[in-house]
Amino acid sequence: MSSVRIFFIGGAIAYRGLFNWLSPWIFVPTFLVAPVFQILLFVYIGRSAHAQSDEFYVVGNALQYASIPCVFAMSNTIAGERFQKTLGYILATPAGRLPLFLGRSLPVIANGVFVSAFAFVVGGLIVGIHVPGSAVGSLGLVIVVCAASCTGLGLLSAALGLRVRETATLNNIVFGLLLVFCGTNVPLRELPGWMSFLSQGMPLTHGIEAARKLATGHSLGSVGGLIGAELLVGASYGVAGYVLLRFMEVQSRRLATLETQ
Amino acid sequence: MRNLRVLLLGWALHFKMLSRSSFNSVLAILYPGFFATVAFFLYREGSPHALLYASLGASVMGIWGATSTSAGAALQRERWHGTLELLVASPAPFSLVMLPVTLAMSTIGLYSMAATLLWGRLAFGISLHVAHPLLFGLAVVATVMSIGMAGFLLAVTFVRYRTAWALGNLLEYPVWLVCGFLVPISLFPGWVRPISWLLAPTWGMRAIREGATGSGSYVDVAVCAAIGAGYAIIGALVVGRLLQAARERATLALT
Amino acid sequence: MTSVVEVRDLRRTYRTSTGIIRRRSIEIEAVRGVSFEIAQGELFGLLGPNGAGKTTTIKMLITLLIPTSGTARVLGLDVVKDAQEVRKRIGYVFGGERGLYERLSAYDNLRYFAELYAVPPREQKQRIASLLDLVGLTGREKERVEGYSRGMRQRLHIARGLLHDPPVVFLDEPTIGVDPVGARELRATIASLTQAGKTVLLTTHYMFEADSLCSRIAVINKGQIVAEGTPSDLKSIVADRTVVEIETFGIAEETIDRLRKAPGVTSIAVEERDQAQVLLVQSAKGLELTQTLLAMLDGTTVGRVAAREPTLEDAYVALVDSVEDA
Repeated sequence: MSSVRIFFIGGAIAYRGLFNWLSPWIFVPTFLVAPVFQILLFVYIGRSAHAQSDEFYVVGNALQYASIPCVFAMSNTIAGERFQKTLGYILATPAGRLPLFLGRSLPVIANGVFVSAFAFVVGGLIVGIHVPGSAVGSLGLVIVVCAASCTGLGLLSAALGLRVRETATLNNIVFGLLLVFCGTNVPLRELPGWMSFLSQGMPLTHGIEAARKLATGHSLGSVGGLIGAELLVGASYGVAGYVLLRFMEVQSRRLATLETQ
Repeated sequence: MRNLRVLLLGWALHFKMLSRSSFNSVLAILYPGFFATVAFFLYREGSPHALLYASLGASVMGIWGATSTSAGAALQRERWHGTLELLVASPAPFSLVMLPVTLAMSTIGLYSMAATLLWGRLAFGISLHVAHPLLFGLAVVATVMSIGMAGFLLAVTFVRYRTAWALGNLLEYPVWLVCGFLVPISLFPGWVRPISWLLAPTWGMRAIREGATGSGSYVDVAVCAAIGAGYAIIGALVVGRLLQAARERATLALT
Repeated sequence: MTSVVEVRDLRRTYRTSTGIIRRRSIEIEAVRGVSFEIAQGELFGLLGPNGAGKTTTIKMLITLLIPTSGTARVLGLDVVKDAQEVRKRIGYVFGGERGLYERLSAYDNLRYFAELYAVPPREQKQRIASLLDLVGLTGREKERVEGYSRGMRQRLHIARGLLHDPPVVFLDEPTIGVDPVGARELRATIASLTQAGKTVLLTTHYMFEADSLCSRIAVINKGQIVAEGTPSDLKSIVADRTVVEIETFGIAEETIDRLRKAPGVTSIAVEERDQAQVLLVQSAKGLELTQTLLAMLDGTTVGRVAAREPTLEDAYVALVDSVEDA
């Protein structure tokens, strides 16, 4: 029972405590305004270059932008703890590690879902795309899956962030990679072979493809495989991140490396 | 001219400081590069002219990116260093002291510009052939300066906000979009164009394109410089009132 | 002879607001009617505890703050109306680690401020070199400031404040946090400033520093000047007193309060020295209070007891205490 509490309540408290991006002065510009402009930017580039449809860019960028909360927040949660030196205290408690770290991921996923959904709706309205009403629910599902998948990546980034000093640079590079690969703005078939190959192993690739299909009227059943693949990829990153975190925790007890900033 | 010396030396020294900060340099160069890469892929299907268009546009994105994200907090950074009160207490005009700070930021953007053009050349085979080198050079200088002056205006406007960095980030995308770096302004709805015309980077971008592939008209450079000067003047006026308020009501907390 | 610095009834109020639901405006009077004059060539000390108003006063004099009321003139120029002219003629040095550009070398820092203070270009190089020599940093000027120790930064601050050869120099707690040897060298440098004909205002909360350096001292507490004069003038305030130092271990607050109320006791200051709390008991000369005091301390562990002549520090305590009681 206590593990469940740690999962939900501990996660929420830690989130508010460390991720102070919930201040409206930061929240609105970063999570609401910026993604809409990113969508507009690529929609217009697409129009200017006579590349893909408006819908293509709205879907891709709305989903990709979830990485800002999902990767940055997850990473900051852990890095923030190191910063405030609370990480050592937390790891000294007997709390189960899995509910501990997973608990922190729930609010992050929720944040990511909100950001993607908002960007999708507002961006879509401004640009003027049409999505079949029946697809709304399924799109919502894909948004959740993508946010969860990004959060898995965020967990890995968090683990790496314990050793790397410049976590912001790392996360910005991750954001950029997700922008270029994953089919976010460039269809996979137009990327060089090695890039589309790597994209298969990255979060968002399958989810974005599924979302695009749903937006053009395909059924949920037809994209089931893609959704499953996305979940698998995200979970793999999550597991890798978790394993790395545990490994570093054990290492740090021997080498006293954890509190270094 | 003493004031010119203050400006130039400040510019050089702040540029030196920023160059020595690895975080600034790496991110300033890398980040716009991702957007440039996407643009290159998208324009690749079009004519070589389109690719050059994208390359020039993407290269200027870094100049704005380097400035907008840090300019807002420029004054606060000086306060944090403990140097703000020294700058205010000196007999030099405060605008002349702060302007070099943001000018240095936009100059750092030149690293990004060069890197993006090089990347375009290496990865996508986009060769840069400059038709009017003098105009091109002047255009780049005018763009860097006017963006630096816009940064100065941002710095003095946002000084009260602790979350200035988020507001500065907010302006990154809109300027990239509206100033026609990667998208011709003619594609936008009519009401957007006046906004574009009011922004100096729009004219700077046009001037750079004029210099690279255009007819060689100096009009755009002149407008860019003029608008940039306008930003600086407005900023100087704002600064005057700001400092007066700070000294009277101790609101700026100079230390 | 007209004074170099003339301060008349200077006042400064800060307005802050508290509370989240109902925002109330509170006015804090940091400086409450301060007046003093500094003559040419004097090393004037403004001595007081933290929060007394020293820094606020100095910031008004260097034109960073506008007084709420009252006037201040430096070299005959009003600090509010002629701020720009005042800035050209004063140097400002403050203590602490900040105030320098870390990623630049000391030389670049000095070059920058030389330019800001309009030092003629032809003289800059030579001026910087001689100042580096004065503060003992020659040979280290190409190193980045981020590697400098506290004492070195402090010396660089002084060099920076003197770049434009100002006739008046304001020093705000210049030796704070500096190691004893470094601080001694700094004080020697400060003393040499008046020898060079400059007028100096020094704020500090180190009594011995004020005593050794200053020709005149004003003691400030809670925004008001409580005494002014030469160090010996101030010592004479307590000249008719004796100080008994009683070393105690783990004395209770109530015991000290009881002792304060003992007849004949003028004031008691408590100094923490390692494990002991040393009571500095001031009383009128001639009164033999030691036995009474020791009797009242029954139950508390007592160490050494000694009687001595009062110092400037005791005068300071007496002055500050008197304002507390008022």
